[in-house]
Amino acid sequence: MDDLSRRLLQRLVRRIPAQALKTTLGKWDRLTAAQRQSVDFTQPKWTITETLLAIFEENEWTMKHVTELEMIHIIDNPNQGMWYAFQLMDPEDDAKSVELTQFKEQFKAHLSELVRHVSVKIKKHTDEAVWIRIAWGDSFSRPNHMKPTYVVHHLQTPYVFVTSLTSKQKPLLSQALILSTRHQGIKDANLSGRKLAAIRDLLMKQYQQVFPTKYPGTLTEKNQTVSNPRIEREQAELGENRFQMACEAFGDGMLPQLQSAIYKLETKFRDHTNKTMTEREELPFKCVVKFSSTNLLESLRECAASGIASTPVTPLLSSIPLKGRNYFVITDNGLGPSSQTNQPQN
Amino acid sequence: MDGAPSKGVLSHLNLLEVLARSRKSQPQQHSRVNELKAKAAALMKQRDQLKAEIQTHQNLQKLRTSMDRQNSNDEEDEMDDDSENSENSQLLRLMARHTQLKDLLDAHHLIGGYDVIKTSRGKGVCVSLATAYEGVYLDTYNLEIDMKPKLRISRHNIPPFIPLNDLAEQSNMETNIKDFLDLLSRHLNAFAGRKQQLKIVKEELKSIEVMESNVLCSILVLMFTVPRQKTAVLCTLDYTDHTRCLPTRVHFDSEDQELPNSPEWKKNCSLLKETPVHKAIITMKKMGHIV
Amino acid sequence: MSLLKPFSKLPALNTANILLVESEEQFQQSLADALVKETGVTVNVRLAKSLPLPMENEESRPRIDLVVFIINLASELSLKSAEASLKYLDPGYFLGKVCFLATNARNASVPTERLDAVRKLAALLHCPLLFAEDQTPDGVANATERLLTILKVAAGLVPMATALYLSSLTQCTVPPDIDQPSFD
Repeated sequence: MDDLSRRLLQRLVRRIPAQALKTTLGKWDRLTAAQRQSVDFTQPKWTITETLLAIFEENEWTMKHVTELEMIHIIDNPNQGMWYAFQLMDPEDDAKSVELTQFKEQFKAHLSELVRHVSVKIKKHTDEAVWIRIAWGDSFSRPNHMKPTYVVHHLQTPYVFVTSLTSKQKPLLSQALILSTRHQGIKDANLSGRKLAAIRDLLMKQYQQVFPTKYPGTLTEKNQTVSNPRIEREQAELGENRFQMACEAFGDGMLPQLQSAIYKLETKFRDHTNKTMTEREELPFKCVVKFSSTNLLESLRECAASGIASTPVTPLLSSIPLKGRNYFVITDNGLGPSSQTNQPQN
Repeated sequence: MDGAPSKGVLSHLNLLEVLARSRKSQPQQHSRVNELKAKAAALMKQRDQLKAEIQTHQNLQKLRTSMDRQNSNDEEDEMDDDSENSENSQLLRLMARHTQLKDLLDAHHLIGGYDVIKTSRGKGVCVSLATAYEGVYLDTYNLEIDMKPKLRISRHNIPPFIPLNDLAEQSNMETNIKDFLDLLSRHLNAFAGRKQQLKIVKEELKSIEVMESNVLCSILVLMFTVPRQKTAVLCTLDYTDHTRCLPTRVHFDSEDQELPNSPEWKKNCSLLKETPVHKAIITMKKMGHIV
Repeated sequence: MSLLKPFSKLPALNTANILLVESEEQFQQSLADALVKETGVTVNVRLAKSLPLPMENEESRPRIDLVVFIINLASELSLKSAEASLKYLDPGYFLGKVCFLATNARNASVPTERLDAVRKLAALLHCPLLFAEDQTPDGVANATERLLTILKVAAGLVPMATALYLSSLTQCTVPPDIDQPSFD
C-alpha cells in the first residue's frame, strides 16, 4: 500500500462519521467477519484508521480498494458539494440502444485517449444510475485521487450530473460522454444545487406535478382545515384557487430541494434626457437577483398560495420547475427567461 | 396359521401373501374412504362458495341494471327500494358502482377517448393519458397544450427518456393531434407494460436474477439457471420497438456453447419473443428448463 | 362595490359576530380558534383577506358587530391592504365598531414610520389600536380577551355601555409631537 492510498484512506475515515463508516464497510463486503469485529467504532477516529490501515496492509489492498470504499460512501451520501446538470443533445440513431458494458468500455477508452493519466471507476447503482469516479492527472503527473470528479448518468436519458469538475477538465469529460453515449453535443442545463436527488427529480419529472382536472382532487381536500362551524372564511374560494394555481406551477407534496435561483438581467440604459447615463452606451446595465432558501420551490409555492406573490405565478418563477433550471439570463431582445442565455460559469 | 407347516412351504407363502394383502388393503380402503369424504366435503364447500358467488353476482347484475336504468330516470327511487341499508347491501351497491365506472372508463379508452379539459387560464387544454397493463391501471401522464398562437406543449410530466419532441414532429402534431396522442399513448403504454413486467419478475420470480435493466426498460438482462447441470444462462432481451411490450431480439449466452442451439432453448427463444417475459418465465419453469 | 353595513341585519339572541381582516391570513386563524371558545356568548367569526366581501355570502353572513383589521407591522403590504379595505366599510362602523390590531411591533426591523402611520390612521378614524403578540399562546389569549371585551360591548351585550361610549374612551390618540424629529 503506497503513501497516497494511505493518505486517501486516512482522509476518508476522518470524513465519514463512525456509524456511517460501519454501514459503508458492511456494504463494501470485503472484510471478513473477524476483521469487521476487530474494528471498534466507539474508538477515536485515529485508532479506527490504524486498524483499517493494518487490515489493508495485511490483505495487500491498494488504491483501487480505497476508491471503491470512497465510491460506496459517496453514492450513499451524495449531498456533499455542488452538483451541476448537463444535457446531452442530438442523439444518434443508436443512442437508445447503448447498454452498460458498451458504455463502460467506450467511456474509459475515450477518456484515456484524451488524457494520459486518468483513473476511471464505473459502478452501477441500484436505481439504474451509472456512477463514474474520475481521478484526473495530466501528461506529467499521476491521477490525483484526492480531488476526484463524480459523474452520475442514467443511460437513455439526456441528463448528466457532475460534481467537482474544473473548467480545464470539462471539455475532456464532455467529449468522452458525447462519444460514449452516442450524442452529438452537450450543453449546460443551468441547474445546480447541493442535493443530487432534487436536481435529478426535477429534470426527470419525478416529483408530483399538478394538472387541472374535472374532478375534485385530493388538493382541495388537503387544503380544507377542519375547523369550528362558527368560523367561516369569506374568501375561501379565492384561497383555494390560489392554492391550486400555486400547486400547478410548482407541484404538490414534497418538492425537490433547490437552494437558490439566480436571475441575471442585462440591458441598456434608455432615457434620452439623462445624458451621463446614455453616454455609457457600450456598457450594459447589469443586475443580479438571487433567491435562496433551504427549499426554494416550497417557499415560492407558499408565497403564491398565501397571496404574497400574485397568481397566476409569473413565468419567471414558474420556469424553474417547468424548464428545470435555476440560472437565467434575461436580455433585452428576449421577453422570456428562456430566450437568451449565456454560458454561466461553473 | 397353525396348520400351515403341514401343508408345505408354498401354500404357507400363499397364505402369508393373502394375509399381507388383506392387511394392507384394509387400512388403505379406510383412508380411501376418508379421502373421498374429505374431497366431497371440499367440493361441497366449493359448490356453496360458488353458489354464494353466483348469488352476489346476480345481485350485482340486478343492481347494475337498476342503476343503469336509474341514470336515465330518477335517482331517488333507489334509496327507497333498498331501505334495508345493511352493510352488506351498501357494499354491494359500491361494488356495482365500481364495475359500472370501470366499464365506462374502459369504454371511454376503447373509443380512443382522452380526457381533455380546458386549463384554468383558458389558453389551452390539458390532456391526460392513462396507462394500463393487463387490466391494471398504472400511471397517468398529463400534457398541457397551448392552442395559441401555435399548438405547443407547455407543460407535461412525461419522463425525459420518452422522446416527446421527436414524437410530436414525427406525427405532425400541429395538424394531426390525434395521431400524436395515439403514438404517445402507445409509447407510454408500452413503457408502463414493460415496467410492470419487470416489476413482476423482480417481485414474484425470485429465482431469476435481473442483471441489468435501464430506465426505459428497453434492455433486460436476466440470469437463468438450468436445473441439474446448474449452468447459468444469460438472457438478453432487447426491446427495440418502444411501442411494444415484447422484445424484438432475444439472445442467450451460456458457458455451454451448445445450449442456445438446442431445440428446447430455441423454443424458449420464440416463447420469450411471443409472450410477456414473466409469463414466458413461468412456462419455462413449468417445463423444467429453468429453476 | 358593496359596503358592509352595521345595521342592515337583525341581531341574534346572545350572539356576537366578529370579522377579522388580515391580508396574510396567519394570525386570524389562531385568533378565531381562541375566540369561539368563549362560552358566555355565542361568538361567530368570519375571516377575510381583504374587503369587499364576496356577494355570494351576503345571505349567509350575519350582522357583523365588530371589524378588526390585523396589521403586521413588518410588512408594508399588510398596512396597504388594510388601508385599501377601509373604504368598503359603511361610515356607521366607525362609531366604535372598528378596531386595529398591530402585530410584530417589537420587531427591531420595523421602521418607526410605519408604526406612526398606523397610529395616525387609527387616530384619524377614531378607532382603538391594540397591540398583540402573535407567536406565543399567551399573546393570542391576551389579544382574544381584549377583543372579546370590545366585541361584547359592540354587540350590545353589556348593559349600560355602547360602542360609541367605549370608543370615545379607548380610541387612539396621537401625541402632538409625533411629527417632530426626535433628538435621540
